[in-house]
Order: sequence, then C-alpha cells, then structure tokens
Amino acid sequence: MTPIAIGRLLRSNTSACVFGCRINQENAPLFGEMVRIPLSNGLQLYGLVSEINIDDDGLVRQLVTAPEVSREVIEDNRQNRNMPVEMSVVFIGWERDGKVSHTRVPTPPLSLDEIYPCANPEIVHFLENGRFGYLRGLLRNPELPAADLLTAHLRQVMRAQQNTNWIKPSLREVIALLKDDYPVLMDVLSAVSEIL
Amino acid sequence: MTTSTGNLQADNSLNRPIGYVVGGGLKANLFVRLTIPADEVQEGGFVVLESGNWQFYGLVTDLQLGASDLRYAELPNQQRLSPPAMKLLTDQTLYTNLEVLPALMLERGPAPDAPDYPAWAQSHQGENAPRPLPIKTVPAHHAVTRLASAGDVAEIFGEPGGANFIVGRTREQDHPVCIDLEKFVQRSSGIFGATGTGKSFLTRIILAGLMQHDSSSILVLDMHNEYGFDDTASDTGMPVVGLKTKFPAKVRVVGLGRASTIRNKTPDLHLEINESDIHPEDIELLSRELNLRETTSATLDALVHTFGSDGWFTAFKNMVVGSVIENEDGKKVPAPDSVAFWANEAGANPMAAEGLRNKLNRVFNRPYVIERAQNDAAAPNSLNHIIDALKAGQHVILSFGDYESDLDYLLVSNLLTRKIREAWEEMTNAYRSHGTNEPRPLVIAVEEAHKLLNREMASQTSFSAIAREMRKYYVTLLIIDQRPSQIYDEVMSQLGTRVSGWLGDENDIAAVLSGLAGRDALRGMLARLQPKEEVLLLGWGVPMPILVRSRRYDTKFWEELQGKKAPRSTEENLKALGF
Repeated sequence: MTPIAIGRLLRSNTSACVFGCRINQENAPLFGEMVRIPLSNGLQLYGLVSEINIDDDGLVRQLVTAPEVSREVIEDNRQNRNMPVEMSVVFIGWERDGKVSHTRVPTPPLSLDEIYPCANPEIVHFLENGRFGYLRGLLRNPELPAADLLTAHLRQVMRAQQNTNWIKPSLREVIALLKDDYPVLMDVLSAVSEIL
Repeated sequence: MTTSTGNLQADNSLNRPIGYVVGGGLKANLFVRLTIPADEVQEGGFVVLESGNWQFYGLVTDLQLGASDLRYAELPNQQRLSPPAMKLLTDQTLYTNLEVLPALMLERGPAPDAPDYPAWAQSHQGENAPRPLPIKTVPAHHAVTRLASAGDVAEIFGEPGGANFIVGRTREQDHPVCIDLEKFVQRSSGIFGATGTGKSFLTRIILAGLMQHDSSSILVLDMHNEYGFDDTASDTGMPVVGLKTKFPAKVRVVGLGRASTIRNKTPDLHLEINESDIHPEDIELLSRELNLRETTSATLDALVHTFGSDGWFTAFKNMVVGSVIENEDGKKVPAPDSVAFWANEAGANPMAAEGLRNKLNRVFNRPYVIERAQNDAAAPNSLNHIIDALKAGQHVILSFGDYESDLDYLLVSNLLTRKIREAWEEMTNAYRSHGTNEPRPLVIAVEEAHKLLNREMASQTSFSAIAREMRKYYVTLLIIDQRPSQIYDEVMSQLGTRVSGWLGDENDIAAVLSGLAGRDALRGMLARLQPKEEVLLLGWGVPMPILVRSRRYDTKFWEELQGKKAPRSTEENLKALGF
C-alpha cells in the first residue's frame, strides 16, 4: 500500500521541524506519534510530534463573536481555511541504506518536503536498531514536555510491538538519564505509570 | 594444592555474580555494588572477586544501604507510581554496597581457551603452581563478585580429610571449612566466646578432631569436669558424650585427690601431689588468691636455702606459729619447732614468716597434697604417671572433681604444667643434641585461662612461657576463655589460631582481634555473631578470617569423625593401648 503524505514542511533545523496539514486530515498523527521524512539524498529522518498548533485567522475571529454559527459555516471554515494546522516535530534519528542512527539528523529537511506517519513495522525497525540514544535528546530538551511526550510515544510503541518487552529497558535508560534530576524523573515516571 | 585452577574455573561458572567492584582499597576495604537482593548476602560471607588473571578472596564485613539521591530513599513513591515503574526506579536508584575485607589473592591465569593459556600452565606447574598469597593489590573496577563455591573454600582452607578437619560450614552456602590440625598445634590457640555461646562444645569438637588425627598428645585441665565422662548439657538437658567414651583406649581421665569421683564414675588415675613437688614459684603465683605480701619471696628463698627445694614445704608445714619456751633466764623465747625460731636462725623476718605460715595453711590442708618419701614405690608419683602417659601418646583429662576453687586450679595446673615444661624441654634438647626420638607435640587445653594468664600472673606461671616460647619445645596451649581481655596482651599476641563465638564486651572483642590485620572491619562482625553455633576463625592458623556455622556435637558428628565403627582387631587394640 502506497503511503499517504500527511503534510509538507514549513520550516526546520537539525533538531526539529514544523509541517503543515489540513485541519481535517484523516491520517494526521497524534501528539507523540512517530513520523518520517524521506529526503531526496537517500536519508530518511524520524521524529515525534511534539506540539500541534491551530492558529486563528480573521474570519475565525469574526465567527467566534457571532451569536449563532451554522454547521455549514463551521465546516466551510475548516475545509477552506487559509491557515494550516502546524505540527512541530522533534527529530529522534535518521536512516541511510537501512542503517538507523539515534543521533541528531545530519541535515534538515527542505521546505515542502513530504511528511509521512510511521507504520508499525517502521516503528519497530527504528527502535530495534539502536540503544535508546534518542531518549537523551527528548529528556534533556527543556523546551519539550518530556513526561507527556514520552508517555504518548511509549503508548504507540506498545501498540506497535504488541508486547511490553521493550518498555522496561527503555525505562531503565530513562531512569539512568534522569536519576540526578529527581523532579523531572518523577514527573516522567508518574506520567508513564498511566500506561504500565 | 588440592584443587586445580582449571577445576576452579569450571566451578566458578556455577556461581552467579552477586555484584561488581565500585571502589575501595587495601586499607579502606573494597566496595561492591550488590546486584542481588541484600538479604541473600550476610555479614561474614566469603566472596570471590575475579579480576583479570587474578582471583581475590575476601570477607563481607558490612552491608550499606545507598541511594543515588537521598530523596529516592526518603520519599516513598508508591502512591505516585505504578508497581512496575516503582520497581524499575527502586532497582536503579536504591542499592546495597558490600564492604569486603580483601584477604588473599590467587593467580588463575588466562582463560583455558586463550592462546596464551598453554604457556602459562606450563610455567605454573609443581612448585610454581599458583597458591593463595596475602593481598598485595586490588581488583579492578567492575570486577565481578560472587559467593565462594565449595572449590574456592577448599582451595583456601583445604579439602576435608587427613589433617584438614571440618570445624564448620560457610553460612550462606554450607561449604565445609577446615582447619589444618598439624598447623593448629604448632602454635598456641584460643577458643573464646561469652558464656552460653557453645565454647565447651566447640572445644570438644576440636579436641575430638585432634584425638582422632592423633598427631599430638592432649592434656585437658578440666575445671568443670565436662570433657572426660558423659555429661548432660546445662541448657538443653540433652546427653553429651564424653571424650573418654569415644576414645576409651587413648584417653585417661585423672581425678584430683584420692578416691575422687567424676560424674559418679571412678577416674583412671587419682592425682595426688607430693609436698616435695611444690616449689616456691608455685606458691608465688597464688599471691593474689592467698593475699601474700611482698616479703613472701624473701621468706621462701630462706626456706629453700635452709631445707632445699624438695624439703622446704614439709618443713614449713611442720613448724608451729607462736610456740615458745622459757630460756635459762626465765624469758620466753621461740621454741625450736616454731616459725620464729627458724626465722631468727635463717635471718628471715619472723613476723613475715609467721604471716606466710598462717596463709599457707590453706595449701597445707589440701587433701590431695601428701607427704611421700622419696622413691616410695608403694605410693607412685601420679604426676609422673600423667607425664609418662602424655609422652606415650595418650591424652589426659584432668578433672578437678570437687576441688573447684581457684586455689586448687591455680596450684595444680601450674605445678603440672611446670613439670611438663621441664620434661618436654629435656626431651627436645636430647632430640636436638643426641638425635633421640622427636618429642610428640603436646597441647595443653586450659579452661578459665584468664585465671592463669592474667596480667599479674602471666609472668609467674609456666603457661605464659609456653605460649611465648614452648612452640620450639613441642608444647602449645589451647586457651578457652570467656574474658579474653583479662588475658595478658603478650600471651594473646602469640596465639596462632583464634576461634571466637559471640562476645559482647568491647574490650574482649579488641583482645581477640589484637595484632590482626583488618581488625576494625572484623570488630562489628564479632559483636553480631549469632549467640550460638556461629564462630569466627582468625589468625595465623587459618589462611584468612572466615565466619562459619560450627559443627554440632552430636551423633552425626561422631559418625562422620569415626565412621560406623567396626570391631577392632586385637592388634589394633594393643596398638591403641600403646603396646
């Protein structure tokens, strides 16, 4: 089955990017889910959706103050709005010639590059070819909601892997990375406890 | 070398790691991060640390709880975290460190499948075979640590059998721990422990081992009549087999005094002491017991000068205190049979002599002290009988019967020991000068040793001399005591093997550990031994300190020691009797 792109790149650097998509995109990823960006030079970048923004425009501003908004108007606004939904992606690794690396991506994607959601086998492939190195970048980036992002990510991983064997070693790595930062570690484990 | 290095390595594979080295040193001990639950390792555990081509042996002296951040230990998070998350967090942030006293190291060489193994094995054969060495370096960081296997214990303490006598077993894994009885008797030894910790049973076990091995004679100064005949345990009421029962042909029970009985049984020999055998030094060591004054030595010197060393005691006993007669002038003067008369004649102080005579009444009145004519064949010298039996390879248990006072114990034991010392010195000198038969090693087991070896008396009794220098003359002591701190330091420092049960007093603990490396680390261990059946083996006689569960003195012990006894042949019986 041919994968369907969910959006195109708006801006990027080597640690993160933002892509845009339509508001009613059927296969739009959820917060914390994995996406991939194939590049023309053979690289494929992997990332997690770390934020989703829906900005307002002039029409929305007018509509929200109207006494009544009909169903048709709402649908029309969502289908035909000028402002895309912006999804922030934090990069977690990259792949070339089938070899996966959990380090910072060597080059950022370019404007309008297509973004695809990761299928379960792709998730498993990425995780099983590394030593949790990408967790370092996730947990030590103060601008990311580490606890919730990791929990959402683990939830998807558990679905993808159909078992929890991967969870324990990954959490050991989490604890090893954060054990000197008691408040953050407790936040992360407290959030992860929801799915364990 | 009883276990080859190759066997050791095969044996090691059966033992899972319990942790890895995280720090420490020779002086500060080693620290091992535990990777198994803390309750699977106990203080006193015998551990092996594998590092490169060397294997290190040590003793767990402490377990310390730690946390990578104190908040993980101080703030329970069960309410915030799910059980799996909690377990993962606990596993990685809370830990236990073992403190290990390193004692020995053994070169184990490369792995058998390594290319350089054949060359190493070739160069480490025969005299060059690896053997345990005192610790001189430390294992590397992250060296794998495991509990000692049976092979490790045998490598260090020897395989059971021959002179290697099982004294107990390791606590965690129940591996037999041996002491080398040949080595044990080469220097004086001590068995210590507070009252009720099983000293007497442990002493019986070791004595039984020595008697079974039969390479030395044993004299037991049995103050409480425990060792010879069957007895009943004071705490459990269970019957306790006597050594005489198990070694009827080798053990002679001697009772003090004529017609004495021990546990309602008649001893093999009654010990009576000839007055001529008592020398001034035997009296001087009773100074505290008899409250003798500083003038005693001068008076005794004068007595020996007047009557000779064999006759002074009888002569002094026959003198009368205060006896006077009237002289030609009608003045009262000391009678010729009086103490004062003799003192005036001998130039001694009459008052001091009369005081000494009065105080010695307690000795003169001992029923077992008898006057016997020289060379009286009708009244054989029982002291000489004891010495002859010991020379012939028999074991003697001297029971004090009803004479349980300190005076009896001090007088008889010191006198007997002095005689033995003279006899063995004579035999040794003859052996060295003329090549006569080598003297048979003799072990003198001394109960309540602090009474004879305290600071005041040690210099006066034969016991301290034996502890210090009689090793060269084939005589050593086995000291049994509950207050080792009361024993003179100089004697304690000479003890080769020390076997100690639980001790509560700090001074006693310090005394048992005096002169040993790592005593600070061992101190706590000694204070926390189980009240019964746990002992610490220490000192020169054992390769390294080790905590063991001591054997039980029961039917199983005797079966293991003597086997299911088959009837002995007449020849064997005659041989056992010394013919």
